[in-house]
Amino acid sequence: MDYTKQIKEIAGKLFSEEKIDVFIGYRNSGFDENQVPVLIHHYQDVDQLVFTEKSVFNLTNYLKYEHTRNKRVGLVVKGCDSRALNLMLTENQVKRENLYIVGIACEGVVDEAGQKAQNCLECVMPDSVVFDEMLGTPSGKREYQVNADIRELDGKELTERLTYFEEVFENCIRCNACRHSCPLCYCDKCCIDQETSTLYHGANTTSSAFHALMTWSLHLAGRCVDCRNCEKACPSHLPLHLLHKQNEKVVYENFQEHQAGMIEGDRGAFYKYSMSDPDDFIM
Amino acid sequence: METEVIEKIVSIEKPHLEAPPDWQPVIMGILCNWCSYAGSDLTGTSRIQYPPNIRIIRIPCSSRVDPWFIIKSLQTTADGVLVSGCHPGDCHYISGNYYARRRFLVTKKLLNFVGYHEDRVQFSWVSAAEGQKFANVVAKVTEDIKKLGPLRLYKKENS
Repeated sequence: MDYTKQIKEIAGKLFSEEKIDVFIGYRNSGFDENQVPVLIHHYQDVDQLVFTEKSVFNLTNYLKYEHTRNKRVGLVVKGCDSRALNLMLTENQVKRENLYIVGIACEGVVDEAGQKAQNCLECVMPDSVVFDEMLGTPSGKREYQVNADIRELDGKELTERLTYFEEVFENCIRCNACRHSCPLCYCDKCCIDQETSTLYHGANTTSSAFHALMTWSLHLAGRCVDCRNCEKACPSHLPLHLLHKQNEKVVYENFQEHQAGMIEGDRGAFYKYSMSDPDDFIM
Repeated sequence: METEVIEKIVSIEKPHLEAPPDWQPVIMGILCNWCSYAGSDLTGTSRIQYPPNIRIIRIPCSSRVDPWFIIKSLQTTADGVLVSGCHPGDCHYISGNYYARRRFLVTKKLLNFVGYHEDRVQFSWVSAAEGQKFANVVAKVTEDIKKLGPLRLYKKENS
């Protein structure tokens, strides 16, 4: 999967026709083999752009910040990123007419070890669902499968899960990198911030980490697209995908196989309801 | 409920602390204004007794309940949470409790996934005419929480 040449061509063409102000893509980091996101403002910088299987980050995250708001933006999206973009469009966070979207028929990106990433193995939609131009041959929608870690943890007893997650919450340092790296966490003020100040005895404790991560994942339930930007950003390497995958599983199994961001105009699972939703847990 | 499982949970949640003999659970009751709150009112005016462990908050509709409320309650003072609203089809705002129902399921499953016993957070539909049912629900929840003991998991230090 190497679309470097095509992306350079497209970005150059867009700049020379003055269709965009900013192009969001990837460049080589210069320090190691990895790639970092880059915002290109001028035609002469277009040569920096690359796209290979190491282009792991979700670039739609950069649409929520000031430097791209109300500007004409071109960007590269893979399958999962395009689902996030779809949700951002539906939730009126970006304007479609300001965007030029280069969709990728993704073949999966690699993780830190150089293997195919876990979320790509379980990917349900590798092709971009919203695009102006598509690179590669689309392979279509795939069948949903329950995450292997979730299956393993579900088989365990309650007490084992408790000890496992106690360690997870204990290792969280409350840096909020997960929140800042998530394209769907765009609120200006966040309810989990009331726990940040040390004055309130809340910062950086297991308790505040529990409060922050649980609230965060429940606010993303039915919307998370499994791009794993949060996990890549986490300095403590917490398995944050477990919380999201658990919610995704519950939503898929109980709410008419709902999957976030698949259809244009479809909001999250909690913006609609059905008469046949499960009711047996309510007294 | 299996007593073994409960004993295990109790031993993990409070490794060095036994529940004091006169301990009483604190239950956060989040009730919708139009049905359950009126129902609890009816319980009172009908002079039906129910356990005094529940602390009631009145909210406009059960769909006002952000999962955050439940998490915040568990993290601070509460040993258990009871959320109650109108029966499906009876919502004052036509469909609020249908939206709420979806959120409740995901919240309950996620809390269970990270190690909370499923009886810690309970939900019920109580209409304004069901004074007796409200008393029964509160009695059941209180009994369940008493069996599980005080919640000491992820508690704020100063609560």
